[in-house]
Amino acid sequence: MTNDVVVVVPAFDEEACIGEVVTAVRACGYRCVVVDDASADRTAQFAEQAGAVVIRLPINLGVGGALRAGFRFAVGTGAHTAVQVDADGQHPIEQIGALLRHLEDGGFDMVVGSRFAPGGAPPPQSTLRRAAIGVLSTTLRRRSGLRISDPTSGFRAIRDPLLSAFAGNFPHHYLGDTFEALLVAGRRGYRVAEVPVVMHARQGGQPSAGLPASVRAMLRALTVPFTGCSFDIPPRMQS
Amino acid sequence: MLVILGLTRRRLLTTRYTLGWLGVGALVALAAVTMPFVGRIGKLADITPTAVLLIISSLLLLAISIQLSISVSLLQERLRTTAEAHALLARRVSDLERHR
Repeated sequence: MTNDVVVVVPAFDEEACIGEVVTAVRACGYRCVVVDDASADRTAQFAEQAGAVVIRLPINLGVGGALRAGFRFAVGTGAHTAVQVDADGQHPIEQIGALLRHLEDGGFDMVVGSRFAPGGAPPPQSTLRRAAIGVLSTTLRRRSGLRISDPTSGFRAIRDPLLSAFAGNFPHHYLGDTFEALLVAGRRGYRVAEVPVVMHARQGGQPSAGLPASVRAMLRALTVPFTGCSFDIPPRMQS
Repeated sequence: MLVILGLTRRRLLTTRYTLGWLGVGALVALAAVTMPFVGRIGKLADITPTAVLLIISSLLLLAISIQLSISVSLLQERLRTTAEAHALLARRVSDLERHR
């Protein structure tokens, strides 16, 4: 059963926490693949020592690029479910089981771990950031019908056929891998749900995007629902 | 034109782009030769011949940069796919080496 699941951890210069994250994932009995997004530090080395399969990208592709490589690895090694976890220690590894259970029991294609759903708890964050997430959540609901309170969450479980669809095509820019992926999945008829999770504050390392980059990504993300300029995946076959 | 040919000879430009830029050069030369004709077009719209050339050349440059953006986008996607495939293969090779 656990071979059917791969935990994908995209990592860029995360030597401070990657070892702990991988150790926690392995302790839960899951296969763990760390996609090292051309880090300059010892991320790959520490991940390997902790028991992960490490895929080293030769050039930096961004979170989405690393994720697609991870999804391709998962699909190529026979997995039907992938769980995406951040390398900075924010995500509660012990709640992966809850994501997978919800995926199975509800017959969903993707389950998002949400900080803002009732019962979840957000790490301390700026008001601006929370407001931005609120705007994205509202846009997502209006334009795709999905009710996801935390559309930027990178703590998710995805299974076939959506996993194979994402392995084929997945955006690599900031917010593309989270918000846009949800939007496209919702519009293409995939079933997406969320479960409340309690996230930790970042355990170490540096956030990958500063304020200007975030604002740009936000503007870009908000044009997508109206212009339809996004990636595309095949619609879900009704079963 | 000599600069373009020089760049091509030093392999900094592929033939495809060389031909494109030589074409642009030919157009500029053509415009110089047909200046009287250009002047007549200008008179129709009540603008100077220089302005006509400026309008045409900016449209041309715009088209070229859009074409280059398209090329770069395509290359980006191809580079990404290649990088992913490379990383996955490197993983499999090192696994095979370990089990040998």
